[in-house]
Amino acid sequence: MTRRSVLISAIVVGAVGLSAAQPPKATEGVSPTSITIGMSAAFTGASRSLGIELYRGSMAYLAEVNRNGGVHGRQIRIQAYDDGYQPNAAMKNSLKLMLEDDVFLLFNYVGTPTVTRVLPLLKKYQNLHFSLFFPFTGAQPHREPPYGSLAVNLRASYRQETQGLVDNFLTAGRSRIAVFYQADAYGRSGWVGVREALTKKGLKIAGEATYTRGTKYSESLDRQVAIMQEIKPDAIISIGAYEACAAFIRDARKAGLDVPIANVSFVGSESLLALLSASSATDDRDYTVNLVNSQVVPSYESATAPVVREYRALMEKHQPDPPQGFGDAGYKMLPYSFVSLEGFLNAKLLVEVLKRMGPSPQRAHIVSTIEQLSNIELGMGTPVSFSRERNQGSDAIYYTTVRDGRFVPITNWQEWRK
Amino acid sequence: MRIAKLFQKTMFGIFLLFGLIALSTSALCVYTVDKQLSTEYEANSRTIAQTIANSSLDIILNRDLSTLQSLIDQFKELQGIKYIYIVDEHGDWLAHTFVPGIPKEIQSADRTPGATVERQLPGFGEFVEVSSPILDGIAGSVHVGMDKGLIALKIQTAIGQQIYLISIIFIVSIIGSYLLVNLAAKPITRLGGYATHLVAPDAPNALTPDEAQALLERADEVGQMARLYRHLALRSEGAELAP
Repeated sequence: MTRRSVLISAIVVGAVGLSAAQPPKATEGVSPTSITIGMSAAFTGASRSLGIELYRGSMAYLAEVNRNGGVHGRQIRIQAYDDGYQPNAAMKNSLKLMLEDDVFLLFNYVGTPTVTRVLPLLKKYQNLHFSLFFPFTGAQPHREPPYGSLAVNLRASYRQETQGLVDNFLTAGRSRIAVFYQADAYGRSGWVGVREALTKKGLKIAGEATYTRGTKYSESLDRQVAIMQEIKPDAIISIGAYEACAAFIRDARKAGLDVPIANVSFVGSESLLALLSASSATDDRDYTVNLVNSQVVPSYESATAPVVREYRALMEKHQPDPPQGFGDAGYKMLPYSFVSLEGFLNAKLLVEVLKRMGPSPQRAHIVSTIEQLSNIELGMGTPVSFSRERNQGSDAIYYTTVRDGRFVPITNWQEWRK
Repeated sequence: MRIAKLFQKTMFGIFLLFGLIALSTSALCVYTVDKQLSTEYEANSRTIAQTIANSSLDIILNRDLSTLQSLIDQFKELQGIKYIYIVDEHGDWLAHTFVPGIPKEIQSADRTPGATVERQLPGFGEFVEVSSPILDGIAGSVHVGMDKGLIALKIQTAIGQQIYLISIIFIVSIIGSYLLVNLAAKPITRLGGYATHLVAPDAPNALTPDEAQALLERADEVGQMARLYRHLALRSEGAELAP
């Protein structure tokens, strides 16, 4: 063997050795050892608690699944990007996840304005069969044509939440219902829900005030409160995020507006309560009274639902970190929250779907797999089902209020009798 | 250096002329920019209103108002567009971009589509509102408000730039005029000094003999005048005078 042939053989052997050392290339986010799913959510800004806690809840469940060998031998990995609850950033993240990272599916997106901007992308690349799993929003666009077939929802819709709130307030004799909402697609979605619920009863929204997305708790919402004071409502339904909604409650109570104020599930109940509790302590005034929060998952304070016990155990066991790079010292992780419980349930249903897709999952089979999911018991008390006509698993709504600094289920709406 | 009295009026004339030019060009600029920008913004706003009206029909019929809101939020990001609202055929609100609430002036206003209206909204500003019917008005209308303040700001910017340029030209021209006037005034002053030299050689502003000689040797009109003075002085006194 000449020196030249020895050299060539060495190069070939080296190259083969190198290729053997590298992990096999993933197709559609699936490799022999892992499945990568993509997440874009708010990990910074005024709504960061929502994205971080949703992620942490999902990771609590996925960490346990991965620890036990994963799904069909594959570890589940979340590729997460921050969009700061901004639609354009969400769109760019989605393009990166779909076209560069080639993830298996999109998961746990946070917010209506972000999701509504991403839906046309899914439509554009529908030949790649991407699905959006369990967005953290109850808006309609991803529940109805033309985008309904591209998304899979677990939680109940804002229409259902606001319908329930309106019905219960009317039962309590409060018919002048006003809406305080975020001036964007999310706020509009909730506003429509309230309007439709009132229309069914032959009523109209008593009045409205809006705020700009990204409003911080430190800002004054006196102008919105002044509008509400002119309206003189019996109750106010807020469609917003925790910082702005907490600021509105604080300023309303300061101005003497003491009617019940309800928030929908997206608000981030614990973060809202934390802000109000802190201000209550400094201002010597209780800002946490007369609050109603609708939830789409059972109370994590009540261990009656099996999933709550499982959630609390796994949150305690794994104590998941925020997404890498977003766990700065300024953020205080919540031990338990409605948001992380929703993330936990999302991950649980995701794993169930992946299990049913078998050892060779393909994006093209996601929709048909989902459509066959029927009576899946996640431990919420009511099984979830999907079909060709139904892309939302749960219709459950839970109503809570604050007692002794924590959210507890409402048992009697007559407490709010006018 | 003082400007010769003879030329002070000239300098004042230059000031006056420049002031007139600056004023008239600024007025023309305000008129042109105002008209062009107003026309352009109104046309753009009307196009936006029509675009939204055309693209929102399916959305409205599908009751998907959050998508409609998302649509108008994107258009609101365009420069100059301050608010957008959509009402149905009964005048009921479908979507809008007002924060912290819908101004009372708009709530009580006639929202019939078609006409361009100017609105003064306390706390918001002054606006020109254009509108476009959806499905010929039977499904409602889209209204777009553009900020008159922005147009005013653009006019101010355009005028500011023009005044800046005119000011530079003005300063350069004044300095140039001053130098030129002084260039013209200097020989006349010297001529005056020569006249003084002829009648009172010891006076403070009288030319020295060398300066007088240099003046007499000039080939221009000033030299001719100096020689004429000398001739007249010689004739009137009949005596030999210094050059």
